[in-house]
Amino acid sequence: MRSADPKIDRGEPAVNAAHTTLGYGGRPALDGLEFQLPRGCRVGVLGPNGGGKTTLFRALLGEITPLAGRLDVAVRAATVAQTDRSRLDYPVSALDVATMGSLARLPWWKRPGRKERARARASLAEVGMEQHARTGFGDLSGGQRQRVLIARALTTEAELLLLDEPFTGLDTSNEQRLERLIDELGAAGRTVMIATHEVEQARRWDLVLCLNHTQVAYGEPREALTRPVLEATYGEHIVEIPGEPELGVLPAHHHDEESPASEARSLP
Amino acid sequence: MLEPFSSPYVQEGLVEILLLSVAAGLIGSWLVLRGLAFYSHAVGTASFPGLVLADGIGFPAALGAFGMAGVFTVISSLLGRARRSTVDSVTALTLVACMAAGVIMASDVFSSGANVDTLLFGSLLAIDSGDVMLAAASAVVSILAVLLLAHRWLAKGFDEGAAGSLASGSRIFDFALMAVVAFTVIATLSAVGALLVAAMMVIPAATVRMVTSRLSTLQVGSVLLVAAEGTLGLWLSVKTDAPPGATIAVVSGLVFAIVAFARAVRPSRLVASALALVALGGFAAGCGSGDDDSGKVKVAATTTQVADFVAQVGGDEIDLTGILKPNTDPHEYEPRPSDVEAVADAQIVFQSGGHLDEWADQLVDDSGSDATVVNLSADLPVELHGGEHDHEHEGEEDHADDHADEGAHAEDEHASEGAETEEGHAEESEEHADEHTEEEGHAHEGEEIDPHWWHDPVNVVAATEEVEHALAVASPENADYFQQNADAYVAQVKQLQRQIAQCVKAVPAGERKIVTDHDAFGYFTNRFGIETVGTVIPALTTQAQPSAGDLADLEETIREENVEAVFPESSVSPKLAEALSRDTGAAADYTLYGDTLGPDGSDGATWLEMMASNANNIVLGMTGGERGCEFEVS
Repeated sequence: MRSADPKIDRGEPAVNAAHTTLGYGGRPALDGLEFQLPRGCRVGVLGPNGGGKTTLFRALLGEITPLAGRLDVAVRAATVAQTDRSRLDYPVSALDVATMGSLARLPWWKRPGRKERARARASLAEVGMEQHARTGFGDLSGGQRQRVLIARALTTEAELLLLDEPFTGLDTSNEQRLERLIDELGAAGRTVMIATHEVEQARRWDLVLCLNHTQVAYGEPREALTRPVLEATYGEHIVEIPGEPELGVLPAHHHDEESPASEARSLP
Repeated sequence: MLEPFSSPYVQEGLVEILLLSVAAGLIGSWLVLRGLAFYSHAVGTASFPGLVLADGIGFPAALGAFGMAGVFTVISSLLGRARRSTVDSVTALTLVACMAAGVIMASDVFSSGANVDTLLFGSLLAIDSGDVMLAAASAVVSILAVLLLAHRWLAKGFDEGAAGSLASGSRIFDFALMAVVAFTVIATLSAVGALLVAAMMVIPAATVRMVTSRLSTLQVGSVLLVAAEGTLGLWLSVKTDAPPGATIAVVSGLVFAIVAFARAVRPSRLVASALALVALGGFAAGCGSGDDDSGKVKVAATTTQVADFVAQVGGDEIDLTGILKPNTDPHEYEPRPSDVEAVADAQIVFQSGGHLDEWADQLVDDSGSDATVVNLSADLPVELHGGEHDHEHEGEEDHADDHADEGAHAEDEHASEGAETEEGHAEESEEHADEHTEEEGHAHEGEEIDPHWWHDPVNVVAATEEVEHALAVASPENADYFQQNADAYVAQVKQLQRQIAQCVKAVPAGERKIVTDHDAFGYFTNRFGIETVGTVIPALTTQAQPSAGDLADLEETIREENVEAVFPESSVSPKLAEALSRDTGAAADYTLYGDTLGPDGSDGATWLEMMASNANNIVLGMTGGERGCEFEVS
């Protein structure tokens, strides 16, 4: 646990939410947001599908404005969508995709030039994909695509990266690789928010934010992730790993096929 | 090998297609990448209300089309944004709305002419300088747009969800893409026709897409493929005398099929190339042009009826090309290379006049021909004016009276005519014609005449004489021969006229009432004293539809007047006439020839046969099938 790492908390927070309500067309979807994200921290965002994770990300990107309260984002934010949202049949290389990130900063009449390509190469190097720069995006593995999309976000010079369920569909070795990459990004001073269903993973990070139409909890994982909090976050849909009642509490709908949790019994 | 490209109209077509290939290839790549193929089709179709407005108010059709395409683009973009729906569903929604607006305007506001829906459809063999300018403009616009915006279009298409956070203003770039697509589609449409839009924009880019994984290769490759397929298609169309638009479309489709097949089967490159060559070779085979310079006067005629008159007078001493073939809808006509060549080489082009063949002037200009254009409707003895449009302005009752008088008048006239000797007849006919000119012609000065003049034999006599004059001027050494032919033909026409008059006269005056499918038969009913109590289609364009109220009124009239038959026209769908027939009990079994003659071997293959068939069917209809007319037509 690196939550006490002194480099994390310096100066103005990356994000400051105070009494924030978010929603669409005047209808609230997520309320009671009350948190400050220090720069350089890794934040797990937990919650059921439809619990408000995507709404929060869209607000952080500036696509929707708060219905009430305030949401200050002090740094540039960029999203890393799930890889299956992007087109695998497009005539683009890994470098082309990474270069797309530069469009955010270019005026509309400018094409990405040598400088932007160099920046994109640096991003690819940062995620360990520089040797695949020329490979077609569709020819990459799922884990490699995920890293190229992170490189695209890095090319935007974003300091707040929003990863939307990045571990979906990854095998164990790619999962470990991505975890290492997230650690490195945090160590490099970037704020990383990771939307995930995996409570166990979230325990590795500096902070967790639990959402279920409202902010259920926020804080360091060991303090925040209590059973009442998880029950409030996931409702009744929780299973317990046998023999490890304190440690292993997982949302059932996500893991009942591929993890030992499928053999677990449901909580009453 | 290259001789098809020696004539100027083919060279202009080649220049046009090479210019268009720039925009078509570049923008086509993006149609394929961004899934806008349906949109590109729809934006062309949706320009219809723009054309109706342009025609009704009186500004250039291209302007109407561009304006409407702009409106279409804005509406689809706004809807897409508000509803967050897919491009296709929003496009379909907007298309339906635009077409509905167009149909209502054409039917109830402007009573549009038959040509509105085809104002825009050009042909590669009839390119004018405006088309070339438009193609050049679309090339410049598409190059600029791609240079500036391609990266943004790519980023958005690659990942719709993330695009918003990665690049601001992506909606504006999408709108720009749709606007450039709309511009390119309309420019292509107005120059080369609807078929070529798909053939040039979508199919080649889709073909290149299958074999490349690089954007630059896709864009450049598509431009080159469009140019190559266009050139090959044009060459083949001249060789095989097929319409160029259709030929290029076939070539594009064939290349696509071969590439798709090759990718599926993955044979060696050698086999694939051989396959492609064999297919193209087979396509090109069987062409070979026999050029016969007989020294005869070269003459072209636009419609089937006019071609018949010219053939009757010219006989063996002219080299005649009839441009419209029987059963070809004049409105969907695309000239073949031989048609343009015939017009380019012709000394005289005979035109029927009016909306049926107003493209003929353009064709003569574009082909570089210095032919004399003879418009047979320029100086007719009997001129009727307007269709439904005029009738609406006249009082209902006046109108009916007119017809009643006319009927009585014609009846007397022809009864005596039938008994006349041959010599007295010519005078009679001319006298008669003058009366008509005064009665009807001056009342509607300045308005467009009803172009179906050949349904009155008196006009056919005059047209025959006009044809004879024009031919005699062009070929004085055959003047006597033409004179003989014309005289013989005029005699036949007059004989038929007398026979029809007698046959119609046998029907009691009160029963001579008909309802026709559209207004083509005004001259016939006027000549033979038959009253048209209603027409099924209110405006001349087939896109217009009668309202429920119109139909109800018509059914009321049919019942009140005891009309025995509703006559569908051979070239129009009989559905409405059949519906009327079901509701009112009037027969709808007798089909009339309206705009064109029938094909060879039918009972309407020549004008004389067509007239006899129409008269027979009309009398059969009016008498409830009891009796028709028997004529000796040679």
